[in-house]
Amino acid sequence: MDVLSPTFGGSGLDRFRQLLVSLTWRDLRIRYKQSLLGIAWAVLLPFSMMLVFTFVFTRAINAAALLPVDMPYALYAYIGLVPWTFFSASLGGCVNSLVANRNLVTKVYFPREVFPLSCIASSFVDFCVALSVLVALMLYFQATGQWTFTPSLALLFLPVVVIVQIALTIGLGMFLAMANLFYRDVRPMFGIVIQLTMFVSAVVVPVPTGDGLLARCISLNPMVPIIGAYRDCVIAGTWPDAGGFLYAAAVALTLMIVGWIGFRRASYRFAECI
Amino acid sequence: MTSSAVTFNHVSKRFRLGEMHDSLRDLMSAAARRLTGRPQKREKTTFWALRDVDFSVARGEAVGIIGPNGAGKSTVLKLLAGILRADEGSVTVRGRLAALIEVGAGFHGDLTGRENIFLNGTILGMSRREIRTKLDDIVAFAGLERFLDTPVKRYSSGMYARLGFSIASHVQPDVLLVDEVLSVGDAVFRLRCLERMRRLVECGTTLVFVTHDLNQMQTICTRTIVLEGGTTTFEGEPRDAVAQYLGAMSRVYAERPTDVAAERAGDRSVELLDLRILSDGEEVVWLGPRDAVRLEISLRLSRPISQLIVEANLRGAGGDALVSVNSGRSDVSFDAATGEHLVTLTLPELPLAGGQYFWSVRAWDAQRGTTELDTAYRYPMVINDDGRATGSLCIRHAWSFHSSPKSVDAHEVAPPTRTTGRTGGVDREDLSVR
Repeated sequence: MDVLSPTFGGSGLDRFRQLLVSLTWRDLRIRYKQSLLGIAWAVLLPFSMMLVFTFVFTRAINAAALLPVDMPYALYAYIGLVPWTFFSASLGGCVNSLVANRNLVTKVYFPREVFPLSCIASSFVDFCVALSVLVALMLYFQATGQWTFTPSLALLFLPVVVIVQIALTIGLGMFLAMANLFYRDVRPMFGIVIQLTMFVSAVVVPVPTGDGLLARCISLNPMVPIIGAYRDCVIAGTWPDAGGFLYAAAVALTLMIVGWIGFRRASYRFAECI
Repeated sequence: MTSSAVTFNHVSKRFRLGEMHDSLRDLMSAAARRLTGRPQKREKTTFWALRDVDFSVARGEAVGIIGPNGAGKSTVLKLLAGILRADEGSVTVRGRLAALIEVGAGFHGDLTGRENIFLNGTILGMSRREIRTKLDDIVAFAGLERFLDTPVKRYSSGMYARLGFSIASHVQPDVLLVDEVLSVGDAVFRLRCLERMRRLVECGTTLVFVTHDLNQMQTICTRTIVLEGGTTTFEGEPRDAVAQYLGAMSRVYAERPTDVAAERAGDRSVELLDLRILSDGEEVVWLGPRDAVRLEISLRLSRPISQLIVEANLRGAGGDALVSVNSGRSDVSFDAATGEHLVTLTLPELPLAGGQYFWSVRAWDAQRGTTELDTAYRYPMVINDDGRATGSLCIRHAWSFHSSPKSVDAHEVAPPTRTTGRTGGVDREDLSVR
């Protein structure tokens, strides 16, 4: 038994790219339509969270002693929250991407990977906008003398960090989108898990280190070295910890390959099972 | 090796009946049962939507697929489009494919008409550059110039459908799949859609067209496949296919349950017990357009009605009201006591084009002026004209042909090659004005 999938005009890859751009553009357009602040929300979300956490940890409770942070806390939180928001918003979109597009899944054929990928792509646009505000924040701390930035070649490593994070997001996103299509429990479960994961991913508080069971479990989380790498190469101007980052990259790549292949294999059943 | 654009090679498609695991709880309990070795509770009932369907469509050919509901027509299209995968056999489509399975699938209500054209166009396989060059044509065909920058959530359903069809028909695919989408929009737009589809076919597009509208199918298709219960029962001339299809419809409705008849609403005092359609004294589900018909309407009255008026209405499958006969308008009313009665309506013929029709019955108490019975259009009848008539009616008619010197002249003027030598332009203008 063999099934030749229909071919489309131009190369298949070109059509895929066109579709990805169109659906990403749709996601962005819908997200910011009928909203006064529009794309500013991409900045406001991580920025306001940064303010909240800064207030809580440095004003409401003086936890400075508990937070072994070697940079202004606001910077520490923002450089953690921006990639984290990218990660969680992408996955939040992916988990619902097939079910929300039920009409397209059952009525039109094209490679179904486009749905989770376009969610990631539209969150990536938000991420870039939010990242640009980081520059303003860095200038502010430089000007007020609270932090001195030393230009370093390590900044060139930033794209690699972003790519590893995207690979991890694709792997998990494909899996989540597919799982939620078959079992709708996945979406609410994901909501709970992602909330908890934030606090063990070194986003706003450093993760515990040592030999305890909790610390060892947390060290398996690939987001810890990824977020650490953002801090190292953007704020601190140092190269990320090689061992941790290589581990994260290996996990991300493996998940992406496994997730994508699994998604491909299951995709012919999507229209029937949705 | 062949020039066929579409090959459907001994394809079977199976669907699982009932629900799959719909939550993790079900999955876990099923897994637990499997682990403990106890038999699965869920019996694996499957349903073959298609069984060994085999056909191919040559490049540039227009093939229609007709058949009763549930015959597997849409499954064929979804397999061709790649939305579903065959369980047995193989499906091959060569060239660029556009499937119009639902008009405007993928439209987003918050986006404007223009934005949706770009979105839907790429979904259907056009590049943005291609869409930009065709934008004006798409908009003009849909007739939505004024509403291009309005969100489609404010569109009427007709506007929505027009835009959807317009986009799809501008894809210029090698293979176009169309599923019953022309039942939307007004009559004028439907005609333009048909015209557009015919143009595409003339320009070399291969068309696979699923429809219930035998008229549309016959105007476009050169070959027709009749599906019945997931298998091909006929393949050939559209006209012969229609006859086969109407026979299939008769078979489907011959098996209709008899208890659908009893119907009475609220405290109404007339109940319809049965509606029988007879021809030549025998109950039939299908008849020819020249056959005499007798409708036997069995009513039960829960109180006496001294002036009972009965009306029988007939509608086509498309919902158009075709016949309405009312005893009151013929100054006939019945003096009916409590109990069961049989009202008979005799029609010398029902000169309708072949197709599926539905009867409904109404009854009034003329003295009180109250409606006592009003059924839905759900008593089916099939007219089988052997595919002779298209249109709505199958009327008696005659042709004649006379040749006169004058008409010969008129023909001679018409070809431009002859007229150009003389005052040709003027002649042709005269003709077109006339």
